[in-house]
Amino acid sequence: MSFIKKNSKNIVFTIIVILLALVPLFTDIGLLKSSSIVRYGRYITFAIVAIGLDMIWGYTGILSLGHGIYFCLGGYGMAMYLLMQKTGGKITDFMQRGGFTDLPWFWKPFLNLPLSLILIVIVPSLLAMIIGYFTFKNRVRGVYFSIISQALTWAMYTLFNGLQPYTNGTNGITGIDTIIGSYYDQTNIRILFYAALTALVLVYALSTFLLGTKFGKILIAIRDGENRTYFSGYCVSKFKTVVYVLSALFAAVAGAIYVNLNNSISTSEMTITFSVSMVIWVAVGGRGSLIGAVIGALLVSACEFSVSSAFPDIWQYIIGIFFTVVILFFRRGIVGFVSDIFEKVTVKKNKEGSVA
Amino acid sequence: MDIATMIFNGISTSSILLLTALGLAITFGLMRVINMAHGEFIMIGAYTTYLVQEVFSKNLPESVFDLYYIISLFMSFIVAFFIGVVLERLVISRLYGREIDSLLATWGVSLVLQQAARSIFGAQPVNVKAPGFLQGSIGGTSSFSYVRLFIIIVMVICLTGIWVLMYRTDFGAKMRATMQNRSMAQCLGINTKIMDCITFGIGSGLAGIAGCSISLLFSIDSTLGTKYIVDTFMVVVLGGVGKLIGTFTGAGIIGLSNVTLETLTSASIAKFLVLILVIIFLQWKPQGLFAIKSRSLDE
Repeated sequence: MSFIKKNSKNIVFTIIVILLALVPLFTDIGLLKSSSIVRYGRYITFAIVAIGLDMIWGYTGILSLGHGIYFCLGGYGMAMYLLMQKTGGKITDFMQRGGFTDLPWFWKPFLNLPLSLILIVIVPSLLAMIIGYFTFKNRVRGVYFSIISQALTWAMYTLFNGLQPYTNGTNGITGIDTIIGSYYDQTNIRILFYAALTALVLVYALSTFLLGTKFGKILIAIRDGENRTYFSGYCVSKFKTVVYVLSALFAAVAGAIYVNLNNSISTSEMTITFSVSMVIWVAVGGRGSLIGAVIGALLVSACEFSVSSAFPDIWQYIIGIFFTVVILFFRRGIVGFVSDIFEKVTVKKNKEGSVA
Repeated sequence: MDIATMIFNGISTSSILLLTALGLAITFGLMRVINMAHGEFIMIGAYTTYLVQEVFSKNLPESVFDLYYIISLFMSFIVAFFIGVVLERLVISRLYGREIDSLLATWGVSLVLQQAARSIFGAQPVNVKAPGFLQGSIGGTSSFSYVRLFIIIVMVICLTGIWVLMYRTDFGAKMRATMQNRSMAQCLGINTKIMDCITFGIGSGLAGIAGCSISLLFSIDSTLGTKYIVDTFMVVVLGGVGKLIGTFTGAGIIGLSNVTLETLTSASIAKFLVLILVIIFLQWKPQGLFAIKSRSLDE
C-alpha cells in the first residue's frame, strides 16, 4: 500500500502511457477513428511542452506566456527541412513570389538533416538562454516577466507574419511529409506516434529525476522564497536560466515532432492565445506536479477536439469559465483536487480503524 | 511623408495608445490587478458604439443621427463600467494580492467575452460611420483628419479628468489611500470594497471610451481587444507602474517611435523593433521610466 502511495504519480503516468500506446490498437479494432493516431500524437507533443512549462511555472514560479515561440522555432526548423526535402532544395513558391531567385541564407542549413536537427535544438535554446540570462540577472520577475514574455511572443508573431517571402506569413509551411516518408502512410504515422510517446517518457523521466535532486529542491526554494534562496548564497538567476532553457528545449523538441504529425505549421501556433493555452493545460491539470501537466494537456486537448467538433461555438465558453474557476478555487488543478479527496477518504478510514 | 504629417501621425498613434492604456494604468498601476480582459473592455466600448448607431439609424430621424456619437461616448463608458463592476465582484475581488492568478483568471474571462461577442454580433467585422461633423480633414488633405484630431481631444479630456479625479478630489484621495494602505484606509472609515469596485469600474469604463474612439478608425470584431492588449501593457510597464505621467510618456515614446520606424521600414518590422527596444530598455530599468522609489527588496 505504501509503495502505491509513494509512487502513485508514476503509476498514473505508466497507466496513461500504456493507454496511449494502445491507441493504434484501438483504431485497428474500430474503437477509434484512424485519424485519432495523429491527433493523439499531437496531444503527446503538447504534454511534452506542458511538462517543461510546469518545471518553470509549477516548480520555479516563473510564468512564461511565450513558450509558443520555442515550440514554433523547433517546429519551423523541422518544417523548413521537410519542405526542402520536398522541393529538392529548390526555392519555393512563396519565395518566388517574394522576388527571390536564390534560397535565402538561413534556409541553406536546412538542406542537411544533421545540421537541421542541431539547429532545431540550438536556436531555441540559445534564444531562451539570451532572454533568460538577461531578464533573470536584472531581476525582472513575477508578472513583469510574464508581460515581457507575452510582448516577445507578439513581436515574433508580427515578425514571422511580416517576413512573408521568408516564412510564408500567416499561411506558414504546409503540405510537407514526415521525416521518415509520406504523411499519408499509416506505418510512418505509427512509427512517429511511438517516437512521440518515447520522447514523452524520456522527458518525464528526466524531469522527475531532476526534480528529485538538489537542483529540484532549489527550484522549489526559489518559488517559495526567492529572496531567502538568494541570501542563502545560491545564484538564483543561474538556476532560473537553466530551467528556463530546459523548458524551451522541451518545447522545441515537441514542436519538431508536432510538425511531423501535423504536416504543416503556421504562425497560429505562435499566437499569445496558443501560448496561454499551454498555461491552461498546466493549470487545469495541476501546477506543481508533472503528472498534472501531462493529464491537463491530454485532457484539455481531447475535450477541445470533441466539444468543438460537435458544438463549435461553446468550447471557448467552457474553457474560459472552467479555467477561471480553476484559478479561483482549485489552485492545484485536477490532480490536487483528486488527491485531496483521496486523502480525506484515507484519513476517514484510518480514524474509523482506530476507533474500532 | 513630410515632417508635419509624421508628427501628427505620431501624436495620433500615441493618443490612441494612451487612451487604451489609461484604464490599465488604473487597474494595473493602482490596484495591482493584471487585467488581461482589458482589451475586451475596449471591444465592449466599440460594440456599444455600434449598437447606439444602429438604434439611431433605425428609430430616429436622420437629422439627429450625428448626435449618436456623443451619446455613445457616454454609453460606452457606462456599459464598460458596469460590466467591470460585475467582473470585480465576481472574480477580481477574490484575487487581490495574487497578481499572476489575476492575470490568468482574467484571461479566462477574456475568452468568454470574445466568444460572447462572436455569438451576439457574428464573426464578420462591423463598421461605425463617423458623424457628419467629424468627416473630412483640415485643409481637405487626407493627412490631418478630423477623426484623429477628435481622438486627441478625447484623450486630453480623459487624461485631465482622471488627473483631477485622482489628485484633486476627496474621492481620489480615498481611492489612493485604499490602494496604498488598505487596512489603514479601513480604520479611517473608508469602505474599501466599494472603492475597489468603483476604481475597477472606472478603469474598465476608460477602456470603453477608448473602444468608442477606435471604432471611428477601424472595423470592429471580436479580436479587437487582442490587438491592443500587448501594446497597452508595454505602455504601462515602460512608463512605470502607478504613475500617470509615466503612462503618458510611455505612450508618447512608443507611438512616436512606431511611426518613425514605420516610415523607415515596414509596419510589421517597425512593430517588432519597437517591442524589442522596449524589452531591452526594461532590462536596463525594470521599473520603467518613472518608478516609485522605495527601499523594499521587491520592486
